[in-house]
Amino acid sequence: MFYMHILIHEYVYQEGTKMGSVSPDSEADQNKSTTAQRSLLQQFWKNYKNNYLSIAGGAIILLLVLMALLAPILAPHSPYEQFETSDDSKFHPAEPGTEIILTNGDGDIVEQTTAYLGTDNVGRDILSRLLYGLRTTLVIGLSVVITSLVIGSLAGAIAGFYQDSWIDNAIMRVMDVIFPFPSIVLAIALLGVVGIGETTYSLPILGTVAVPNTAKIILVISVVYIPRFARVMRGAVVTEMEEDYIDALRTIGASDFRILLSDVIVNTVPSVVIQGSLYVGTALLASAGLSFLGLGIQPPQASLGLMLSNSRDYVYSGEWWFSVFPGLLIAITILGFNLLGDGLRDALDPRYQGEQ
Amino acid sequence: MLSVYKYIIKRSLLAIPTLLGVSMIIFGMLYLAPGGPVEVMMSSQPASAEQIQDIRQQLNLDEPIYVQYGDWAWDALHGELGRSWSITQGTAVNDLIIQRIPLTAELALLSMILAIAIGIPAGIIGAVYQDQIADHAARVVALSGISIPDFWLGIMLIVVFGVQFQISWASGSWIPLSESVTGNLKHLIFPVITLGTAYSGLIARMMRSEMLDALNGGYIRTAQAMGISNRTIVFRDAAKNAFIPVLTVIGIGLARLMNGALLTETVFNLPGIGQLLVTSIARRDYRVIQGIVLFVAVIFIVSNIIVDVLYAYLDPRIRLSGGD
Repeated sequence: MFYMHILIHEYVYQEGTKMGSVSPDSEADQNKSTTAQRSLLQQFWKNYKNNYLSIAGGAIILLLVLMALLAPILAPHSPYEQFETSDDSKFHPAEPGTEIILTNGDGDIVEQTTAYLGTDNVGRDILSRLLYGLRTTLVIGLSVVITSLVIGSLAGAIAGFYQDSWIDNAIMRVMDVIFPFPSIVLAIALLGVVGIGETTYSLPILGTVAVPNTAKIILVISVVYIPRFARVMRGAVVTEMEEDYIDALRTIGASDFRILLSDVIVNTVPSVVIQGSLYVGTALLASAGLSFLGLGIQPPQASLGLMLSNSRDYVYSGEWWFSVFPGLLIAITILGFNLLGDGLRDALDPRYQGEQ
Repeated sequence: MLSVYKYIIKRSLLAIPTLLGVSMIIFGMLYLAPGGPVEVMMSSQPASAEQIQDIRQQLNLDEPIYVQYGDWAWDALHGELGRSWSITQGTAVNDLIIQRIPLTAELALLSMILAIAIGIPAGIIGAVYQDQIADHAARVVALSGISIPDFWLGIMLIVVFGVQFQISWASGSWIPLSESVTGNLKHLIFPVITLGTAYSGLIARMMRSEMLDALNGGYIRTAQAMGISNRTIVFRDAAKNAFIPVLTVIGIGLARLMNGALLTETVFNLPGIGQLLVTSIARRDYRVIQGIVLFVAVIFIVSNIIVDVLYAYLDPRIRLSGGD
C-alpha cells in the first residue's frame, strides 16, 4: 500500500508536468501572457473531446435542457387540461395513441386529438406533463447544486484558509453534524420544520413574505449537499495555501480577504464546479424521491417524481404508460449528468482517466 | 494492537460532540415550525384554544425549551424516546421502532449482500479485463445501477413480474419472518433486487478503480517477476488491497441504502421504519419523527466509527499517523 501511494504521486506528478509542458499545437501561443492557462484549458478540452461517452452525456443534457426550455412550444397541450376519451367520455388513464377530446362546459367538443403517450388518471396529456415536469425537475436539480455549491464552498474556503483555527473547527464540526444523515431523511426532517406547501411568514423588516413550495424544496435538499462541497473546497484550499505565491502575496502586504477572494478561490473553483456536476444527478434523484413520497412538489404542478407517485395506484390495474415514461425520463436525465460529470472530472484530473 | 484500542477510544470520543449537536438540531428544529407544533398537528380538525392549551400542558410544551430538551435527551440516553403524539395512538416510540426495525434491517442486510455479491466481482472483472468487452459490459451495468431511480425500478418489477407474469409474491403483502420463512423471503426478493442493484453500481465502480490502482502497483510487478501465478496475484494481493477503500464506500453507502429503503418500502408497501417516518410526517407526529431521525443518526455515527476502525486496523498508516 505504501508503495502504491508513492507510485500514484509519481504518476500524478509526471502527468502534471506533461500537462504543463508545451504541446506542438500550442507552441505558437508561447509568447502570449496567458500561455500557461490557455494550454491547461486546451489540454482539458483535448482530454474531454476524446471521451465519447462524456460527449454523449453532454449532448443528452443539452437536448433535455432545450426540451425543458421550449416546453410551451413543444408540448401539444397544456399540462393541466383534462381530456376525455371519445368512447365513453370518462376521465380515465387512456392508452398511448388513444383519440381524446376536450369539451367545454356545455359538453361541446372543443378539440379532438391523439394522446401519443396516453393520459393520466384525470385525463391530462402525459407527453405535455413530461415536458413541463422535466422543467420543474431540472430547475430543482440545478438550483440545489448551485445553492449548496455557493454556500458550501464559501464555508469550506474560509475553513481551509484559517486552517486549524477556531473558525475552521466551528465550521467543519457543523458540517460533521449534517454529514451523517441520509439525504432524504434529512430533507424530510427539515420539511417537518418548514412545512409542505406555500407558507407566508411575517418577518420584522420585510413584512409578509410568501415562500413558494418549490423554493422550500430547493433549500431543504441544498442543506444535504452543503457539507460535501465544504469538504472538497476546504481540501482544495488547504493544498492551494501551500503554494509559494501565497507567501509572495503576503510579503507584498496583500490582505487575507484579497488573497482568499482573488487568488485562492479563483484557483480552486474549477475542481468544486466539476464536483458539482457529479452531484446534479444525485440531487435530482433526491428531489424526485421526495416528490414520489408525496412530500415534494405538490399537485397540480407537474414534476416527474410526482407523476410516478400518482401512477402507483394504477400499477396493478395495468396502466403501465403512466409509470414507465416519467421514470424513463428521470433515468435518462441522471445518466446524462453522470456521463457528463465523469468526463469533466477525467479531463481535469488525468488520474481518473478511463473510469466511467 | 494497543494502538488500535487507542484509536477506537479516540474515534468514539470524537463522536460525542457530533451526537450532541445532532440531538440538539433534531430536537430544536421541530420547535421552529411556524405556528407551533400543536396548532399544526390539530389543523385538520377544529380545536378550541383551551383544547390546544390542554394538549400543550399534557405534552409539557409550556416548560422552557432547554428543560424540554434536557428531559428528552436524558430519556433518549436511557433508550427511551417518548410517546407518540398522534391522538389515536399514544404508543411508545420505542415500541413503534422495535416493531418495524426487523423488516428494514432484513431488507438492508439482504440488499447489502446482493450489492457486494454483484459489485465486487464486477469491479474485479472490469479491472482485470480493462477496456475489453467484459469491462464495457460491467461498466454499463454499473452506470445503469447508479442512474436508474430505485423506486422506479421497483415499480417496473411490479409491472413486469407482478402484473404481466402474474407472480403473486412480486406484489402481495408482506409476511413476517416468524410466520413463514420462505414466504417472507419470497416477498423480499423484488425489494432486495430493487435496492441491491442500485447500490452494487456504486461498489463496482469503486472496486474497479481501486483494483486498477492496485494492479498497477510496483509490488504486483515484483510478484510477477517472482513467478507467482496471475490468479494468486489478482485475488490474494490486488483484491485484498483494493477492498480497503471500498470498505469506506460500503460505510458511506449505508446512507444511500437508508434512502433507498424509505422509497422501496413505499413502493412495495412494506411496514418498515421508512414507511413509519413518511406516515409520521403526514400526521405531524413530532415525537416519532424525532425518535426515528435520532435512531438513524446514531446508526450512522456508529457504523462510521466501525468502518474507520476497520480501515485503521487493515491499513496501519492511518492508525500510526493518529488518523482522522
